[in-house]
Amino acid sequence: MKKQLVNMKGTKDGFVLRLDDQCAYAELVEELKRKVSEGGIDGKVDVQLHLGNRYCADEQIKELVKIVQETEQLIVSKVQSDVLTVHESNQKMIESQQDTYVGVVRSGQILRSSGDIIIIGNVNPNGRVEAGGNVYVLGKLKGIVHAGVHGNKEAIIAASRLEATHIMIADQVEAMSDEHVKAINQEEMACAFIGYDGRITYDQIHALKNIRPLLNVSKGGS
Amino acid sequence: MGEAIVITSGKGGVGKTTTTANLGTALALQGKKVCLVDTDIGLRNLDVILGLENRIIYDLVDVIEGRCKIHQALIKDKRVDDKLFLLPAAQTTDKNAVTPEQMKSLVEELKRDYDYILIDCPAGIEQGYRNAVAGADHAIVVTTPEISAVRDADRIIGLLEQEEITAPKLIINRIRQHMMKNGDTLDVNEITTHLSIDLLGIIVDSEGVISSSNKGEPVVMDPANKASLGYRNIARRILGESVPLMAIEDEHRGMFSKFKALFSR
Repeated sequence: MKKQLVNMKGTKDGFVLRLDDQCAYAELVEELKRKVSEGGIDGKVDVQLHLGNRYCADEQIKELVKIVQETEQLIVSKVQSDVLTVHESNQKMIESQQDTYVGVVRSGQILRSSGDIIIIGNVNPNGRVEAGGNVYVLGKLKGIVHAGVHGNKEAIIAASRLEATHIMIADQVEAMSDEHVKAINQEEMACAFIGYDGRITYDQIHALKNIRPLLNVSKGGS
Repeated sequence: MGEAIVITSGKGGVGKTTTTANLGTALALQGKKVCLVDTDIGLRNLDVILGLENRIIYDLVDVIEGRCKIHQALIKDKRVDDKLFLLPAAQTTDKNAVTPEQMKSLVEELKRDYDYILIDCPAGIEQGYRNAVAGADHAIVVTTPEISAVRDADRIIGLLEQEEITAPKLIINRIRQHMMKNGDTLDVNEITTHLSIDLLGIIVDSEGVISSSNKGEPVVMDPANKASLGYRNIARRILGESVPLMAIEDEHRGMFSKFKALFSR
């Protein structure tokens, strides 16, 4: 029997369309068209596309999504691929690098970093920090801070005192009002991140371990 | 070889010119040879505060454009014998008449003959500021206990840290003792930790400063005034002495406490 090029599977997160990564792209498109036109599904269903080890250009991904959604019953919630281009990989590497700045970021100064940045000192009002990754402040954060400037929604901001006037993560902006500042217990170190609702949320710093477990890269210990 | 100190603040009206006049006079009273340079071209004031307005013949721009020798433009303050000189700013042109390079060589020339050159900087961070900072070795930032002045001081400290000068020092001017005590203004500690630079001294608010400026006689000449004491202390710290910070206390005591003080002696 001929190997199936498109596999549909039900998981707890919804349907997954697993596409074969060894066959020719044209064959895959044919098979996919046939498979989705079979029907047999009631109502609207979310599906995820898993591309496996196939590299698809942006247009190809668009085409695949369009084929699936043509039935108007399947909605693609996510496209997943195991392949990274060199550019994406380099970008990831740059973003995972860490800079250290010792001193005060004063009014009118802009501190930029392509990856994470640790600031040992205060960020004064109207001082600005922009980082591709996370921002950590060992001091009072009273200025403006933008983490994940290139769109990394996983980026976080942590400070000994979080009293910023504006907080930005990826494309989210939050103007900090006095109530916000009061809401964060100022006796504790605090952090800001994008929560499940897609908005900027605050919490005490010990919560970070559960919110972003991937931040933890320490080795050794028990 | 002398030292050049620029006195700046960012915000206007916090007392740069008054501080320059008084510190210069205090240093001269301590026996140092001092030259004050007004770089606020177009809006000169230092000459008025020193009461030397009517003796200006040549000014800074005349010197830089070679219309006169530097010693012809310098005005001697006769009250402090042969110790205090002023190089006034021009009033008829603007800040763009001078470049930072020209200022630098001017200050270098003055440094040969004087112990201290105090440069009075105009408000703002534009050409006038760049001219004033160009020749300086040290910087003094003047602020008042107001949030707007502290913000601007923060900005100017950031700019000064990029120049080739020593770390700037802070003067907190116009402290109203009772307001600071009641927490209505920022207190000295709050300001110094926020700006995180060394505190050079504090000056309490005094009506004597205004009246003496109007008379053209720096308040530091009046030894009884409290602001005058602040300036004298700062001058001594510049000379390397260690002088404790003066206590901030309300001078308007009530009748009762006056009596109490009388009997508790």
